[in-house]
Amino acid sequence: MTKARVRILPILCMGIASFCLATAVLGYVLAARAQETQRAKTLGQKLLCVCGCNQILTACNHVGCTYSHGMLKELDDRVARNEPDDLTIQAFVQEYGSTVLAAPPTTGFNRAAWIMPIVVPLIALYLFFELIRRWRQRAAIATASGPAVSAELLARAQREAGKDDDEQR
Amino acid sequence: MDIFGSFALILAFLAAVYAFAAGIAGAITRRPLLTRSARHAGIAVFGLVTLAVASLEYFFFIDNFSMAYVAAHSNRALPAFYKFAALWAGQEGSLLFWSWLLSTYVFLALFVNRNKHPELMPYAGVVMAGVEIFFLTLNNFVASPFGVLGGPDASGTLRLAALGDGHGLNPLLQYPEMVIHPPMLYLGYTGFTIPFAFALAALLGRYPGEKWIHITRRWTMIAWCFQSIGILLGAHWAYAVLGWGGYWAWDPVENASLLPWITGTAFLHSVMMQEKRGMLKVWNVWLVFTTFMLCILGTLLTRSGVISSVHAFAQSSIGNWFVGFLALAFIVCFWSYWLNRDYLRSDNALDSLVSRESSFLFNNLILLAACFAVLWGTLFPVLSEWVVGNKISVGPPFFNKVNVPIALFLLLLTGVGPLLAWRKTSFDALRRNFAWPVIIGVLSGIVAFIFGFREIYSLICLILCVFVTLSIASEFYRGARVIAARDGSNILTAIGDLTMRNTRRYGGYIVHFGMVLIFIGIAGSAFNKDVQMEMAPGQSLAIGPYTILCQNFDRVANNNFESERATLEIFRNGRSEMMLYPERRFFLASEVTETMVAVQSKPLHDLYVVYAGRSPETGKPVIHAYLNPLVKWIWFGGIVVVLGTGLALLPNRRAALVLKPATEQSWGDAVAKGASPIGAVARSSDGHD
Repeated sequence: MTKARVRILPILCMGIASFCLATAVLGYVLAARAQETQRAKTLGQKLLCVCGCNQILTACNHVGCTYSHGMLKELDDRVARNEPDDLTIQAFVQEYGSTVLAAPPTTGFNRAAWIMPIVVPLIALYLFFELIRRWRQRAAIATASGPAVSAELLARAQREAGKDDDEQR
Repeated sequence: MDIFGSFALILAFLAAVYAFAAGIAGAITRRPLLTRSARHAGIAVFGLVTLAVASLEYFFFIDNFSMAYVAAHSNRALPAFYKFAALWAGQEGSLLFWSWLLSTYVFLALFVNRNKHPELMPYAGVVMAGVEIFFLTLNNFVASPFGVLGGPDASGTLRLAALGDGHGLNPLLQYPEMVIHPPMLYLGYTGFTIPFAFALAALLGRYPGEKWIHITRRWTMIAWCFQSIGILLGAHWAYAVLGWGGYWAWDPVENASLLPWITGTAFLHSVMMQEKRGMLKVWNVWLVFTTFMLCILGTLLTRSGVISSVHAFAQSSIGNWFVGFLALAFIVCFWSYWLNRDYLRSDNALDSLVSRESSFLFNNLILLAACFAVLWGTLFPVLSEWVVGNKISVGPPFFNKVNVPIALFLLLLTGVGPLLAWRKTSFDALRRNFAWPVIIGVLSGIVAFIFGFREIYSLICLILCVFVTLSIASEFYRGARVIAARDGSNILTAIGDLTMRNTRRYGGYIVHFGMVLIFIGIAGSAFNKDVQMEMAPGQSLAIGPYTILCQNFDRVANNNFESERATLEIFRNGRSEMMLYPERRFFLASEVTETMVAVQSKPLHDLYVVYAGRSPETGKPVIHAYLNPLVKWIWFGGIVVVLGTGLALLPNRRAALVLKPATEQSWGDAVAKGASPIGAVARSSDGHD
């Protein structure tokens, strides 16, 4: 190994290490910023702008809206302070009231908002199967009490039904 | 002239009352003269309300600012296009417009059926007149559009006071779609009155069979089509005007328009059960009743101020009238049903769980679940305030969480339903029909996953869209293949022939395909991107493959508004592609500022740019850019839905020859030789599934 090479190598290594370090730091800072922005966006989607537009905070774009700018700034500040999500949301509820939440909380009477859209279709589903069961029962009773049909005729009818089935598909 | 309009409205009200009373008397006494005079009165209502509407439009065009309604919603500089549309810009005018559309429908229904259904029409005329009476009561006595400015002087003489200029039209409404969107939506809302009237009339008169369904099928489809167009135009307006980057915000007024559309969709499917198998009679009658009542409920929500919305009219006491009418409509419907419930017995029962019937039933169940979820979310703030005294908000996160799975399930049924046969489907048939659509659907999902498509709902949606498209395509292909083999024609001609022989069925499939396109467009929203930046001339921002370079900001002015406009050059992969000009307009008459969005729409994505104003801190202009994938598919899907509905409205072309000459035989011969008469009927009948 020549002297020149020996001199260059540590410089090169240091240069590469510095570059890697700088890239890592920059990457970390950018990632943290992106993460903050993403977190702020996610949190912002859980809140409504209180200007009366009924829009998600991050989507409120009303010209002259006197609320959204301040609310978004406050949200960014809280996220930058690394405040937990729950605390941030709670702070907004305390400041602007429960109407600031974009979706009903899962506590108290508000649970009903989430439960009913599941319960009612389930009840409807039960009624649906009950209706079908009754219909089939009624069909069975009607068949049992119907006029006597010869085996030959029955077999033909079944063949016809099969054909009909294929044609109509 | 204002007296002329008011007078026409009063006469219209009296004519509607006469049509109602004479119709009842005619139905009870069965005197044709009375029934005919009731019909003529119903037709006269249309003429009189038309005069009232023409009179109000005249005031707008001559800038008569002594009329309170004209002064509140127009100004001299307003373009004529918008002066015409100002008719429905406010509460009073839009109610008059509603009455006019309703009276037009009633006129057409009475005129088209003037020599038909003598047992049914008197009852239907009475119901339609009853609904007209309600709206004309509002027009005359609660929210008259013919109010004047001024008042009585000391001597008691009325002194008119005319403003120099009007307050102008709400800037949000100064957009071409606003000229079309409300009429389309109102045509939907009012159109559902006709099937409602015929259903109630059939029940009251115990009209035999499924005749009322046949009579109202086209009316329902027309109303449904207008409602669909209205909803989509509203979504497009919200996208292009409100400037928040989306098209559907689950706003109470948007939801109000969706509710009757959902039940109307359920009705359009379940009527086939009644027509084909004589089933679901109670269900169908109540679906029509519910659809009509949801139209009234939607109007109540929009006009009463019960629920806050950017789209709602000003708060007013008019809501009490709608509540009263809604209650009365429910009582009449329930009473009619209760008295005549024996008339609604089903003729048949369900043969199998795996059948077209059960898929329709399931489809109805899911649609009603969606309807309930939307209604529940819309009304929950009021309920919460009423029960616990604490008003809360129910916004998009709630509706998306609840409705997205329901919508995907509906999409699945859209593909499954057509592949099932009536009465019973065998396992072999299931395997034969489902195998390829399912395999290709799942494969496309796997490929999409490998290429980084990881958003779960969007992935499921993609799989289902492929499955539904293939199931629709296979329906066309199998039918066309038979025709092509028999006639020796090519497959495309055969598809056209097949479609025209059963327009309802194949038009319905095209509507389903339109819905698939809409779902693809909605699924794209999971991949939306947006960037906001303070931009001085010379600065640029990057979003997706685009770089937006700010060139300058300038001011534009005319008599109606002053505008601050950004000139942005758009580069794609380093090459200049286009210029965009987002604006902020200050409307002089109303002194309101609004954004004008600049959109570059492409099949794969929209570049959507908003000039969001100046930063309060730095004073620099703020540009908000969005990259919204696949939005164009929604609007294109809407066009396909409308075309499909239009096709389904056409009469079937009669099949010239069903059997080849060599094998042609009469029905009698066929039966004698042991062939299937059922099959022969099935081939020559107008299938409608």
